[in-house]
Amino acid sequence: MALGASGTLFARRLARLRALVQAAKPTRRSGDVAARVRNEVTIVLGQRKLLQRFGPGLMHAFIFWGFLVLAPTILIAMIAIVDRDQTLPWLAAQGWYALLADIFCVLVLVGVVSALYVRKVVRPRRFAGSHLGEADLILALIATVVISLLLWHSSRIALGYNEWPKSWSPVSRVLSHLFGHGGGTRVLERVFVWVHVATILAFLAYLPYSKHLHIGAAAVNVWFGRTAARGRLEPLRFEPDEGESEDDLRFGAGTAADLTWKQVLDTFSCTECGRCQDVCPANQTGKLLSPKLVIMGLRDQLFSGDREAPLVPSAVPAESIWDCVTCGACIEACPVSIEHIDHIVDLRRHLVMVESSFPAEAEPMLRDIERSSNPWGHPQAQRADWAAELGVRVLEPGEMPPEYLYWVGCASSFDERARRTAEATAKLLQAAGVDFAILGPRESCTGDPARRMGNEYVFQALAEQNVATLNQAGVRKIIANCPHCFNTLANEYPDFGGSYEVVHHSELLARLVSEGRLRPARDEQLMVTYHDSCYLARHNDVLDAPRELVGAVGTALPMARSGKQTFCCGAGGAHMWMEERANPINVERVREAAATGADTLAVACPYCTVMLDDGVQSTGDQLRVVDVATLLVEALQ
Amino acid sequence: MSVLVFVEDPADELAAQALTFARGMDGDVTAFTISGDYAPAAWGQTLADLVGARSPRAVLAAGTERGNEVLAHAAAILDLPLSANTISFAPGSPPTVTRVRWGGSLLEQALLHGSTLLLTVAPHAVAADDGATVEAELVASSQHALAVAPTKRVGATSGGVSLEEAKVVVAGGRGVGSAEGFAIIEQLAELLGGAVGCSRAVTSAGWRPHTDQVGQTGTKVSPDIYIACGISGATQHMAGCKGAKKLLAINADGEASIFAHADYGVLGDLHEIVPAIAAEIRKARGA
Repeated sequence: MALGASGTLFARRLARLRALVQAAKPTRRSGDVAARVRNEVTIVLGQRKLLQRFGPGLMHAFIFWGFLVLAPTILIAMIAIVDRDQTLPWLAAQGWYALLADIFCVLVLVGVVSALYVRKVVRPRRFAGSHLGEADLILALIATVVISLLLWHSSRIALGYNEWPKSWSPVSRVLSHLFGHGGGTRVLERVFVWVHVATILAFLAYLPYSKHLHIGAAAVNVWFGRTAARGRLEPLRFEPDEGESEDDLRFGAGTAADLTWKQVLDTFSCTECGRCQDVCPANQTGKLLSPKLVIMGLRDQLFSGDREAPLVPSAVPAESIWDCVTCGACIEACPVSIEHIDHIVDLRRHLVMVESSFPAEAEPMLRDIERSSNPWGHPQAQRADWAAELGVRVLEPGEMPPEYLYWVGCASSFDERARRTAEATAKLLQAAGVDFAILGPRESCTGDPARRMGNEYVFQALAEQNVATLNQAGVRKIIANCPHCFNTLANEYPDFGGSYEVVHHSELLARLVSEGRLRPARDEQLMVTYHDSCYLARHNDVLDAPRELVGAVGTALPMARSGKQTFCCGAGGAHMWMEERANPINVERVREAAATGADTLAVACPYCTVMLDDGVQSTGDQLRVVDVATLLVEALQ
Repeated sequence: MSVLVFVEDPADELAAQALTFARGMDGDVTAFTISGDYAPAAWGQTLADLVGARSPRAVLAAGTERGNEVLAHAAAILDLPLSANTISFAPGSPPTVTRVRWGGSLLEQALLHGSTLLLTVAPHAVAADDGATVEAELVASSQHALAVAPTKRVGATSGGVSLEEAKVVVAGGRGVGSAEGFAIIEQLAELLGGAVGCSRAVTSAGWRPHTDQVGQTGTKVSPDIYIACGISGATQHMAGCKGAKKLLAINADGEASIFAHADYGVLGDLHEIVPAIAAEIRKARGA
């Protein structure tokens, strides 16, 4: 009967959850089965993401692996409740399984005790806003399940009921000395097995109503996580396909009914661990945004059944939506493959395109991108001015395309500081004899800032225009020195009919150095710390090439947060064109760089160049902020 | 057939233009003003009442912010179309109007329907008749829809010169060094009858309010001369002052990118140079 009640509660909740997923909007997450299997093996079974934080990760791994190993004991105990003398065939007679069960009972308890220690004594900030009481209850349930299992095994050893040789159960054997061999123990044996099974059934019923739902949802969510082009945003459609009505179109997420099924699954999977919040540059510098609270807010709204109330502000405050720099640190840290940026950008899209409600200071950027094809409103005719004295070829319509098109980007075309990168890159390509050209005034903003801001409409107009220009020119290979352009060209333009082989300038330059076509002189006294750009390292896995360049010109001093764990400069997600509240992110990052003792802060992104140079001016540190290309060109001379 | 022209201020050149435009429409033209403080919804209601009472063929107003707002309210109340910022009118049934859209980058030809034609006249669409004075009838404002009414009047701040419209802007950057350091910037601005601006670094440091910030994410200015003191010239800042006719840069760092944009440059310490300029101006004025 208990089984029936528990099962009914569980099934009812499951049906409700399934209904929420089925009512959600479509998104494509199929294909690439090999990568999905690999993610299940490494992220779920191997606990790779959890183990990024070794202590708490191991704690969770003990409990999780214990859950897998001990799962058959549930069946064994249920059989024993019906008939004390029956058990599961084969497995229950294996000594090695008895040993494993004993070991994992202890490891799970170690895990539970460590978890309580972390939650009650250490109390890290990442739990702020999480359901703490729920977590305590869940830990107590896990402890009860495992302790009752151990005691049940021990009492059976004392009574001589044991199916497996007791030598295989060191822990249970020691505990068995607590019990006599008489009727008292026979009663206790029944009590333990009933407590064990009853707790499991209670747990089963409670599980899908709590954040512990992640036990089931996480593995599914990891399967459907992004496998390629992680920096790509899902395009919106502005025209209905055949057989669709206007109502099938979505302009981002305005209400709970607008979320895609992956986004719904994301909210089911969140167990409120707060790792995202802990690595979020906005959160860590005193802004309102917590990626965890965004997901929790959306989940609460979904479960409330209200499909009409606006998500902003009833589920998520507007301010936190605009705090996001789309750096992806949250996604990298999340152990269950929640993709926070998709949520935040969809909320922005609705605010910008439907409500026309966004930070006023970003309006000139959107207008200038639309009118002047660059975010600062400079005349397009001046786009190639930086290249005039260098004799860089400007590709005119109808001319033979070069091997590489150098996509300079707006920042490196117009910003005084970032222009040095373009000049250095051009000089290096010339020195190595690379056949390249630029588009000059025919190059427009890729649309990245507009897209990250939520103005998908402006982005798509630019994407279509740029793809048309590139395709007409017959371009096949592109060099980009801006990671934001790089990400858009490589990962997003294929959605608009533009497929090119895109390399970041650091990748091509590193190859030219390794081939001996560029021969820099290394200066060991040059102390360089390299700052990874989010859109290069985290979104696009370009980690080694810039480091090879740094190693080729000086001595590298790594920062604590580097590689895929890098900390943003503060400019991503259109924040280059927004005002920052609270502590500036760039200043925090510059302090970290200065602490390495380096005299040079190497970057590979024009946004990082500008933001970190501003940061250095604020802190007054003696640090030169410079692009790897500039470092390389200086080492040649 | 009668044509009514709503006039906010009979002495205004744009009101005279609207009246001239109305006379070109062939009809008895009557101008009127509305009494009392500006209250858009109430004035719109007044106008709607007037249309109800007199059934004019058309109602016009100058295409000022207030003219457009009052006629928009009246149009909404009467459920009639409004042609805003009109530059020409050709009779017909329905008549054809040409109007200015998108900040002047587009001219639109449209057919204007309605028992009473509502339109505002784009500024300088026609030249006012020589010596045309506006004789306006005074109509009492409706108290019916008084949703907005002034409660208090305050004078303009910062010496009456707004940053956006100032002919001279003296701006300080990180090089000024402190909030107190802006005293010399303020003095120079006052002497020149200009406004004080600043860069983002300054507002981030809390030395000046965000309302003083010039740049991509602040105010965009277009003075006759922009004096940039201790400003490095980041793109974000230059986006706000590229409308200046002349740019004078004062900076201690010869490498600063501001010099690439400047018409005149002074290499040196602004804390010496700015007071020296101020002293020279006072001397020249004999003060």
